[in-house]
Amino acid sequence: MTDLLGNDLNLQYELLGPEIALVITAALVLFADAFRRELKIGQSAIPAISILGLVVALLLSLLWIDENKDFARLVTIDNFTTFFRVLFIAVTVVVIIGSHEYIERRVSHLGEFYSLLLLSTVGAMLMAGARDLLTAYLAIEVMSFSLYILVSLAKSDTRSGEASLKYVLLGGVASAMLLYGLSFLYGVGGSTQYTEIAAALSDGTSTLELPLLLGLALIIAGLGFKASAVPFHMWTPDAYEGAPIPITAYLSATSKAATFALLLRWFAGPLLPAIDSWQWMISVLAVLTMVIGNLVALQQSNIKRLLAYSSIGQVGFMLMAIVTISDQTGSALLLHLSGYIITNLAVFMGVIAFYNRTGREEIVAFRGLAQTNPYLALVITAGLFSLAGMPLLAGFLTKFILFQSVVSGGYTWLVVTALLASTVSLYYYLQVIRQMYMYQPEGDASRWRLSPTGYLATGAMLVGVVWVGVYAAPFYTAADRAIAPLFT
Amino acid sequence: MGIDLVGMEDVWILPAIPFAVFILVSFFGRLIPRNGDFIAVLGMALVVLLVGLVLVDFQGAFHDEVFAPIAGANTYSFDWIDIGDGFFVIEFSTYVDAVTMVMLPVVSFVSLMVLVYSIGYMKGEARYGWYFAALSFFVAAMLLLVISGNLLQLYLAWEGVGLASYLLIGFYWERQSAAEAAKKAFITTRIGDVGLLIGIILLWRVTGTFDIQEIIHAAEEGVFGQTYLTVAMLFLFAGAAGKSAQFPFHVWLPDAMEGPTPVSALIHAATMVVAGVYLVARMLPVYDEVLIARDVVLYVGLITALMAATMGLVATDIKRVLAFSTVSQLGFMFAALGVGALTAAMFHLFTHAFFKSLLFLGSGSVIHATEQQEVGELGGLRKKMPITALTFTIGSLALAGIPVFAGFWSKDEILHDLQHYGPFAAYVILAVTAALTAIYTTRLVLLTFFGKPKNEQAYEHAHESPPIMTGPLVILAVLALVVGFITYQGVGESLGFVGGIGELVYLPHHGPHVFKLDIAFAAVATATAVVGVAIGIMYWWGDARRAIAAQSWAPELHQLLVRRYYLDELYQGVINHVVLGAAAVVAWFDKRVVNETGVDGSTQFVGFLGYRFKFLQTGRIPHYVLGMALGVAALAVVAIGTT
Repeated sequence: MTDLLGNDLNLQYELLGPEIALVITAALVLFADAFRRELKIGQSAIPAISILGLVVALLLSLLWIDENKDFARLVTIDNFTTFFRVLFIAVTVVVIIGSHEYIERRVSHLGEFYSLLLLSTVGAMLMAGARDLLTAYLAIEVMSFSLYILVSLAKSDTRSGEASLKYVLLGGVASAMLLYGLSFLYGVGGSTQYTEIAAALSDGTSTLELPLLLGLALIIAGLGFKASAVPFHMWTPDAYEGAPIPITAYLSATSKAATFALLLRWFAGPLLPAIDSWQWMISVLAVLTMVIGNLVALQQSNIKRLLAYSSIGQVGFMLMAIVTISDQTGSALLLHLSGYIITNLAVFMGVIAFYNRTGREEIVAFRGLAQTNPYLALVITAGLFSLAGMPLLAGFLTKFILFQSVVSGGYTWLVVTALLASTVSLYYYLQVIRQMYMYQPEGDASRWRLSPTGYLATGAMLVGVVWVGVYAAPFYTAADRAIAPLFT
Repeated sequence: MGIDLVGMEDVWILPAIPFAVFILVSFFGRLIPRNGDFIAVLGMALVVLLVGLVLVDFQGAFHDEVFAPIAGANTYSFDWIDIGDGFFVIEFSTYVDAVTMVMLPVVSFVSLMVLVYSIGYMKGEARYGWYFAALSFFVAAMLLLVISGNLLQLYLAWEGVGLASYLLIGFYWERQSAAEAAKKAFITTRIGDVGLLIGIILLWRVTGTFDIQEIIHAAEEGVFGQTYLTVAMLFLFAGAAGKSAQFPFHVWLPDAMEGPTPVSALIHAATMVVAGVYLVARMLPVYDEVLIARDVVLYVGLITALMAATMGLVATDIKRVLAFSTVSQLGFMFAALGVGALTAAMFHLFTHAFFKSLLFLGSGSVIHATEQQEVGELGGLRKKMPITALTFTIGSLALAGIPVFAGFWSKDEILHDLQHYGPFAAYVILAVTAALTAIYTTRLVLLTFFGKPKNEQAYEHAHESPPIMTGPLVILAVLALVVGFITYQGVGESLGFVGGIGELVYLPHHGPHVFKLDIAFAAVATATAVVGVAIGIMYWWGDARRAIAAQSWAPELHQLLVRRYYLDELYQGVINHVVLGAAAVVAWFDKRVVNETGVDGSTQFVGFLGYRFKFLQTGRIPHYVLGMALGVAALAVVAIGTT
């Protein structure tokens, strides 16, 4: 088949197997939930179906390892796409396993919850795979719209609706900026295809410098919003606090990683020829983000807000890799993203298990957890130490490799700033650990246990945090192979 | 080859098993019946079995000559850390050669014996499960140490055994003296370890590798400067001397006897303390390049051997006598290495492990029965504890160097090599030490098992230990009788090796050598040992009247030995005045300048900044949108302005 311009189109639908599988699963989940009584199935069948669909999607993704094909000039299926497909599917699986108990009790509209979660995963996967500006934009919106609703689904928590409304309105502004920026880019490049924009920009014949700069500023603002980079971050703490905790975890993992997948695709692809115009923009954003994120985190008293600011600070570190973009920093970023996601999920799964028991989310509520549930205290401590970058844990090694690659990219001053910010972060992570270990529990001091799935999710993440920290070689190899298609 | 299930390339699995046991027993011990002691024992039995298979594979490789002794190859390695595509690579590598093959059976077999014995000895103790977990951790670290192909990994395992030693010496941490001893052992060996680390870094700086064989190769190629290499190898030796309790680091080992007795048998007699010997043996080709450093090894070994033997003469605690003896025997091994006699050193390490762990376990049996460990409270126990007495006597004869017992062959080998390759004075010193060894060993046996009971109550109370404890004693006693014979070519061949130990363990440029009994030389050595025993009997038989008389003959000398040449006091004085004085100055600087001005000041500043920035987060949507708009505007304006 050919399109209007006469380009041959490759319409192998099996290339989109994982996405199609997830969309079908989402529909099945909605259907099963609606007819639950008629079908005589229990509540826990819904997450089970979702996980089944995710496993199928995972297997379908693995079919395309080391392939390099495109679907209708819209989506690329290469190792980079496969890497993120696997990552996003894994995140969703962990979130579902770790929080189905929470969801059953504290989330309204179960069917919608799971199907939207699956759809936002599809959006994220397409963000990583897109090779066309409009496809990318639509993928962003698929993911975002699902998330807008998901944030509002916390039962009997007024903050949830408020958070969702803020997120939707500010997200609309950001989308408008992004789309406006993309239209400038289309004007300059003459195409929505990444490859053709790159060719047009590297020609050097374009005289349209002003629209390019305006477009870059708007695109960076739009993506900065998604990644929660300062000063486009302000929705983050409010949305993180109001959302159901599993969605907070999901926002901090998939939504963030998908944005970085897109950033890598764009800034290593169509926008790479204009590097002199945007490099300083991103570096300014990186510095602002890591400084403000880590400083304000010092002042938080709610664990979700603390983690929101900590994730903002972490984004600052990751942006450094975009500044010095190369195959080396790119693969370091992918490694760091995987380590960061595992770590963050470890903390969030711990916090969810804690919330299931206590229903509290203030930092002081963690007092004496080391006595009432030493295992959970260990998981959260390992996660927080990893976020702070302690050796033997994922955060140290991946951060070390990231920082080292940025230094060899020539941006030592950025890394110095990052190290200072990192030191500050240790303080507020330790505050939480201090509450758990140095204080007596308030009120009920009896020991308690997690649910079996709680043990499964936290245990798997704990093992992951240690594994990446001690023996990262397989992850490093995977990241290396994933980044390669972007730089050939 | 018949059994190829587990070969030399799979040795990594050996430390993995006890490590898994450690994880299992320490985390889930409370959920397992008997706190998981049987898991530790079975795991260790499996390790012994696997060591056997590796040994078979080793024999096959040796016969097929795919494997030159000593200069083997890294049998297994993978990249552990690889940063920036080969910019900085750390490998996990295992290396197996004849030296490793001496260490593996010793470590695994003695560990198994000690674990079995401990079931009886530690019965009813608090923290019973933790004891087995910690011991398994120790074995894992020790096995990792001896199979390490690179120095960094070796260092990791080195610290691991140090940690295990600390934990187990301080097992009875409620007791002040045990806590103090654990601390002393840890800090003293740490001082040596810093030297080891410096040595490793010095070697790495020039060669850019941690791989032991590559470093040896580089040294033989003459990549290093002579002085540089000497300094590096001396630092390395500091680590070895610390771990193996050699002068001047020997002070920690006698105090380490505060730990449970089976721990002393395993860690402080048979395995961990020989890690230093192993390290020097492993690096001996490098020491051969820098003879000054090798001479230092010789002299330190000689001084330690003699000094510790004299202190062993007057010690009154049954375990401390054995501890001094261990220090002294390690001195023998270092002296042998100091003249380049790899075979003799490794041979003595091998035999010593069996008879010394036997002696420690025997003393544990006595302590278990009488709850006394001062020889002044013991005596006459042979009637009450016949098995313990018999096996202990066999171990003592091996230690004293009486012919046909294991210790005779290896000690004879060391003396022989020293006479041939070393200065004559060195030979004389070690010969005298050998006589002293026979004396204090005889004294210990007589005071414990013969004569009249000195504490009637303890004697009445005494009983033979249960079979789970005497079993390992009997097995080790048999080994203490026979392991020395592996020096003979025929014995080695009948066991499936190419020949005796001298044809397996040797330095490439020295070449293998076939053992031949030098009758005249052996007669002199035997005579020395017999004279020692005779002196011991003369002085301590019956009520030890002569010994008490000798004590009052030169009380100052006796006091000098009892107080261990006042070295402990000297070290304590240095710590009290020099170290603590300097520490006070640093502490003042740290408190006033670093902490109050630097840390607190900057913390308040950072906290204040965070507090100000917090108010940017108003919670109002218009403010947020304004923020975003200003952000975009600023980016666009600056971008356009700068072009």
